[in-house]
Amino acid sequence: MSQKLILTIVTPEKLLVSEEVDQVNVPGSEGDMGILYDHTPILTNLRSGQLSYEKEGETIALVVSGGYLEVTDNRVTILAETGEFLHEIDRERAERAHADAEAELGKTDITEEDFIETQKKLFRAIARLENSKNN
Amino acid sequence: MPNLKDIKRRIRSVKNTQQITKAMKLVAASKLRKAQQAILQARPYAVKMMDVLNHLSARCNHDLHPLLDVREGQRNLLLIITADKGLCGGFNGNIIRKTAQYLEDNAQAENSLIIAGKKGNDIFRNRPVKITQDIIGWTKDFDYLKAQTIGENLAALFSEKKVDKVFMVYNEFKSVMQQEVVVEQLLPVVPENLAHQDNTFVVDYVYEPDEEAILDELLKRYMTVEVYRAFLESSASEHGARMTAMDSASRNAGEMIDGLTLTYNQARQAYITKELIEIVNGAEALKG
Repeated sequence: MSQKLILTIVTPEKLLVSEEVDQVNVPGSEGDMGILYDHTPILTNLRSGQLSYEKEGETIALVVSGGYLEVTDNRVTILAETGEFLHEIDRERAERAHADAEAELGKTDITEEDFIETQKKLFRAIARLENSKNN
Repeated sequence: MPNLKDIKRRIRSVKNTQQITKAMKLVAASKLRKAQQAILQARPYAVKMMDVLNHLSARCNHDLHPLLDVREGQRNLLLIITADKGLCGGFNGNIIRKTAQYLEDNAQAENSLIIAGKKGNDIFRNRPVKITQDIIGWTKDFDYLKAQTIGENLAALFSEKKVDKVFMVYNEFKSVMQQEVVVEQLLPVVPENLAHQDNTFVVDYVYEPDEEAILDELLKRYMTVEVYRAFLESSASEHGARMTAMDSASRNAGEMIDGLTLTYNQARQAYITKELIEIVNGAEALKG
């Protein structure tokens, strides 16, 4: 098992992960993707959702929202807008954000831009809530 | 013979100054800690972003996005980042010198400036150079949103073809004691080392959803991140420079106080001796 991917996950706040891993599963904007050794170079957007990586038979999961994925020469770089490990998720806050966003989207006088922004917020909250259910 | 009262007054005044510089040093130190943490955490993201863009700009077609457009024109725009306040050693001076140097070297080009910070504005206001925009008072509350506004503004100027190149001049934070003035090309985005690209065959990316959409989003993000990072670098450097400057100012004040105290004591001794001699002389005179 010498064929490892070098995974780096960064957010504007900090460097989250920098490790050698076997497989990375990401929530791409066009659908989920699994990345293994010798993957072709790819550049894609990410949506809010669960991202996981496998390392020595262990699976570690986190929730990211938005950002980019780049794969070149077996280096996987993820530039996420936010990222938390499952146990770090603040459910209460996510629930509040969820309720706020839903109320906002229910308004009739909302502008197009605000709508898109709020929708993103809602998806982020949903991603956090869904993935932290079992904890 | 220096007047005792005068020396005493000077000692008191220097002591007051020392108190101020000491306080400023402490304030700078606590602000520095915050600023340093911010920049150290923001750096990995910015560096990775830069990497991705470098890879990207080596591969993709430069006609695809206005921000990648390399033009022959000579209209340069410089974003220079100075502080709003002085008393921080060579911090502002270095930036100003570097900028002036740049303007001199590129005198044939049509240069314009965007100046952040009051100090830079004070200097360049009176010089024959076009100032497009002032950003005064940024040091108080700078955040990601402000960086975004500035970045969008720069991107707009560039894509509307009002300028051909955009540079940033700022202090890069090396360590608490050390800052380095850098001039960095922000736009157009060019691959770091073209020479290296020639002998390696590069495979184009698979893009999802499509090249243009990703490029557009990524470049916008890049502008914000780079501007944000430059301002954070500058902020950390400023506090570092101020702390160092105030530290040496406090030390100098201390030395000055020591010197003055010595002079004061000597003068006092001389005064007492003189008085004693007068008394003895007086007594002698009475005896006679």
